[in-house]
Amino acid sequence: MSATFLLARRNLARNRVRLLVSVGGVALALSLTLALDAVYAGVANQLTTYVDRAGADVWVAQAGVRNLHMVASWLPESVTEEVRAVAGVADATPILYSTDTIAARAERAVAYVIGLPAEAPMGGPWDVVEGSSRVGPGEIIVDRGFARKARVSIGDTVTVLGGEARIVGLSQGTASLVNSVAFVSFDDFQAMRGGTPVVSFVLVKVAEAASPEAVAAAIERGVPDVTAQTRVDFSTQERRLVMDMSADVISIMNAVGFVVGLAVVALTVYVQTLARRREYGVLKALGARNRVLYRVVLVQAVLSVAVGFLVALAFTGLLAFAVSRAGLDLELSIGAASLAKVGLFAAVIAGLAAVLPIRQVSGVDPAIVFRRGAAA
Amino acid sequence: MTALTLDVRGVTKRFGDGDTAVLAVRGVSLAVESGEVVLIMGPSGSGKTTLLSMMGALLRPTGGAIHLDGTEISALSEGRLPDIRLRQFGFIFQDFNLLSALSVLENVAIVAELGGLRRRAARDKATALLTELGLGARLDFLPEKLSGGEKQRVAIARALINDPALILADEPTANLDSKIGREIMRLLRGIAKEQGRSVVIVSHDQRIRDIADRVLWLEDGAFRDIVTMATDPVCGMAVERELAVSAERDGIAYHFCSRGCRAEFLGTMPDAAGEAAGKP
Repeated sequence: MSATFLLARRNLARNRVRLLVSVGGVALALSLTLALDAVYAGVANQLTTYVDRAGADVWVAQAGVRNLHMVASWLPESVTEEVRAVAGVADATPILYSTDTIAARAERAVAYVIGLPAEAPMGGPWDVVEGSSRVGPGEIIVDRGFARKARVSIGDTVTVLGGEARIVGLSQGTASLVNSVAFVSFDDFQAMRGGTPVVSFVLVKVAEAASPEAVAAAIERGVPDVTAQTRVDFSTQERRLVMDMSADVISIMNAVGFVVGLAVVALTVYVQTLARRREYGVLKALGARNRVLYRVVLVQAVLSVAVGFLVALAFTGLLAFAVSRAGLDLELSIGAASLAKVGLFAAVIAGLAAVLPIRQVSGVDPAIVFRRGAAA
Repeated sequence: MTALTLDVRGVTKRFGDGDTAVLAVRGVSLAVESGEVVLIMGPSGSGKTTLLSMMGALLRPTGGAIHLDGTEISALSEGRLPDIRLRQFGFIFQDFNLLSALSVLENVAIVAELGGLRRRAARDKATALLTELGLGARLDFLPEKLSGGEKQRVAIARALINDPALILADEPTANLDSKIGREIMRLLRGIAKEQGRSVVIVSHDQRIRDIADRVLWLEDGAFRDIVTMATDPVCGMAVERELAVSAERDGIAYHFCSRGCRAEFLGTMPDAAGEAAGKP
């Protein structure tokens, strides 16, 4: 441990209340940013769950449609056969899709409603905890969370797409903070929408030796007026849309967190430096160069911020754990990108917070040591 | 440590400009030899501390020059001064000026580290020095847990850790009781006489005259009467040359605190010795 680090550490530890305020302030500010990022990343995860878990390697949509949320995609029914005919396609399943409201008793909830053909090999619920995983005419599978809130169970009726459907299955992992996924029969969906012979998406399973990217490209070449994307690309687009929609909120909260963190650290490091002004003068008189003293101040700021960052990380991790155990339709996901961003924030905060104290130290006159004052 | 001579030549220090300008030091000259203890006394506001600050390269003179072993330190750039302060000077302050967050050992070792020693070597050297000064049992104490005398001994260890040729002490006994003050004076004299370092002390404390080789009186920024001190060869007490009982042997003048010491030195009864100038 260098003399610089030792002095910085001891200076911090000497006044525990000030250290607590500094670390606490940074932790609070960074927690705000980390937790908000985690909430939005969790929501993005949840919103792409259907795309990720539907079982398709390639998603085929109306030309120009690149995601699921808040879009409409309409393709002629014949597209399914055209897709099946493309080399590398092992199977193709058409689905109908719409965002709608499911209502039961007094409970109303927004849901992605998926119309599934009978015996569809993909596109259906992946974790049915009660009842059937297949939907027939007049039937629906809803998320267990919705059923609990609406106090309905297997055999009860819900309103969806302007008609009624009987619950035959309860799924889990199909709800998010903003919506859930419900499954009805393809024919019911089509009938409720006036019987137009269209599909929303065609889900494609590629042959064993084929790559999803190559098959998607082949579909776009061979089938007119469609956009084909691999599951990964489709999911990424979906996630990007969610993050774009929340970008302003995230930016504002990031800015608030940044300013609060910066203000707290800058103030405490400044006060700390002011309180030790004479000691910095003593060090100068003893022969310490300015750059050594700058390092002491900078290390103090970095240590405060680093400890605050770790506390914020631990707090957000605990919050994520608690939320996951609380049975809420909420997921907190702490991603590497968010950690890198908040880490960068922290580094910038530490650097900026040290600027004023460094200016103060640079102006300390070493001859201050001969002025009478309270010193150790 | 190398034997250095500090040479102050016609140094002036002015604070402020125009009508409000204050001339704190006026054309002061002084040379300090190695192994010499120089005491600068004078009333408050006489410019003692300003002069000490300039001698320690903490303050730049307005006029004149300060040479250290032939190098004009008063003309060096700011960037070169930290090295001079670190390696050539050791500072001792009235208020001790220890770093409150560091232990006794760390207060001393950090200066050695600044001087380029690695941490382990710095701590070893500081431990040895502090133990020599009787602080071996206080190494891990914070300054606030020490008595005034202990704090000043830590400050002395810190001043010595980089083996400087010159020790500059500002009122080193002012905050200490008389017993501890004497102990610190004995230490400072030992630093000069046994280790060959020069010691410049600024003080109001008359007791320090006993250990000084020279006493200078600074008043209104200029030296007035210069009193030269000598050491009684019998009892070791410092005495003012001009006022002391003296005797000559083999062409060398000796100065004594009393006729008894002179008689003992000459091997004769008090009345038998020839008196030189000064008090009887």
